[in-house]
Amino acid sequence: MKIFSSHLFKLEFKRSFKGLMVWSLSLGLTMYLVVVLYPFVIDMYAAIPAEFYDIMNSFGGIPDTIMEYFATEGAMMLQIFGAIFAVMEGFQAINRDEREKIVEGLYVLPYKREVIFFTKFVRITVNVLIFSLINSLLSLIGFWTVSESVEGSLYLLFCVLNTAMYLVIAYLGFALACLLKPNQKSMISMMIPFPLYIISVVSLLTNNSILQKMKYLTPFTFANSVEILKTDFTFEWENLILFMILTALLLVLSLFRFKKREFMV
Amino acid sequence: MSIILVENLRKYYGVNRGLEEASFGVDEGEIFGFIGPNGAGKTTLIRLLLGLIQPTSGIASIMDMEVRQSFHILNKDIGYLPGETFFFPEMKGIDVLRFYQKMHNVEEFRFLELVQILQLDVSKRVNEYSFGNRKKLGIIVAMLHRPKILILDEPTSGLDPLMQQIFLNLLLEEKRRGVTIFLSSHVLHEVEKVCDRIALVKNGTVSQVYTMADIHNDNLKKVILVPPAINFEQIGLKLSKLENNEAHYDFDGDVNVLIEFLAKHQFQNVKIRDASLEELFIDYYKEDIQQ
Repeated sequence: MKIFSSHLFKLEFKRSFKGLMVWSLSLGLTMYLVVVLYPFVIDMYAAIPAEFYDIMNSFGGIPDTIMEYFATEGAMMLQIFGAIFAVMEGFQAINRDEREKIVEGLYVLPYKREVIFFTKFVRITVNVLIFSLINSLLSLIGFWTVSESVEGSLYLLFCVLNTAMYLVIAYLGFALACLLKPNQKSMISMMIPFPLYIISVVSLLTNNSILQKMKYLTPFTFANSVEILKTDFTFEWENLILFMILTALLLVLSLFRFKKREFMV
Repeated sequence: MSIILVENLRKYYGVNRGLEEASFGVDEGEIFGFIGPNGAGKTTLIRLLLGLIQPTSGIASIMDMEVRQSFHILNKDIGYLPGETFFFPEMKGIDVLRFYQKMHNVEEFRFLELVQILQLDVSKRVNEYSFGNRKKLGIIVAMLHRPKILILDEPTSGLDPLMQQIFLNLLLEEKRRGVTIFLSSHVLHEVEKVCDRIALVKNGTVSQVYTMADIHNDNLKKVILVPPAINFEQIGLKLSKLENNEAHYDFDGDVNVLIEFLAKHQFQNVKIRDASLEELFIDYYKEDIQQ
């Protein structure tokens, strides 16, 4: 049974390529700049008054190495902007065709809806992987530019888990677009990354044990840059498995909804 | 043998009516016109036939397969032109056509031929096309895979008169090849030119299906009298309007009786002709138009 169309994939990829490059290069270059500024900000950290240390500690503390600096300053920015890109990639895979009203021409092609669904799913995955690869490489070039040594395995682990987090967010966006009625505003997709990020920050900052448990409700937890790159790393596998199961369930539900999705102007 | 069969088809969008009731069949190789005012349910019926929306009740089947279950198989043999054509706006016309050609797994030859016939500049981007040129692109996309059935929603809207004629000739050529054509239109003189049968839809209900022969053989005549005689409502004559120093009557009856009656009077001019489809349409929808 055919579930993938290479022609549709090429078309989708071509149409999304410009946006992908704009997002990847602009965020990647920002990461590069953040990293190459490290030699200049070391002195700034030394000048921070002691009374700010508690607040700083909540966000990973004063960095001692470039990796710690990247974890506290660069990676957090990378994650929130990356999550915004990912959710829009997922959501707009369905939503854009409906907004541009080209969906009528796609649905009357001699293909099952599963083919369209799965092809879009693959395209989202490929775009997120390319986005993550470009950002990871540009950050790495930044480390090389300031001639700082990088703990390769830790950085690779962060990149892999961060990409997994992007994929989860992108698939949640894709599922949201399938589950909502057609022709929604794409800003609705922001209901996924922002609350999830806030939950991760709150669970990190609080001393309340119940609120701390909320970290399991956000995929930012298993890709927490400070945990991975700065402190002794304990892998939040429960959190990763929870989101893998949740995402898989939502994708199956989305497929059923997409198969019955009606065309509306 | 009906290639398209619609039985008690009904579609509601929540509480809003899309289509109240439709039952009819379209025979293989015929051109079937679907006529009705805006909001009557024409586009809803077309979308039901393509599996773009699901019926609330009833069945639509094409080539003995129920559309709801088999639309992905049926779409191989169906060419569809929507009322408003939208394509990937940033792509060139030629790239759009190549995409659809590859998706249908057919040769380029056919669309290149259609591009020539319809005189479309395919080097332009879709967002640079006028409404009419987008329509031409839509016509080519609908026909490039040589489908057995063409479903066309307002196909000539936006085309200039010359292009409308070219398009109608193209339809007649497709009909000669054995293609079944189902079209909705407001341009009634075109429907009259090409259709074998028509269905009239009113308030979401397909109420009547006529052959064009029925319409042409209809006894309804239009009688125009100059100078305007206004007291002639006898022997089946019915005054419909007075304008430009002319009295317009409808006549439904024996034309010999009519001639005998008119011969008893003096006129400057008398015209007797068959009622056109447009006049039939206006008569049928008179109440709606007046409302």
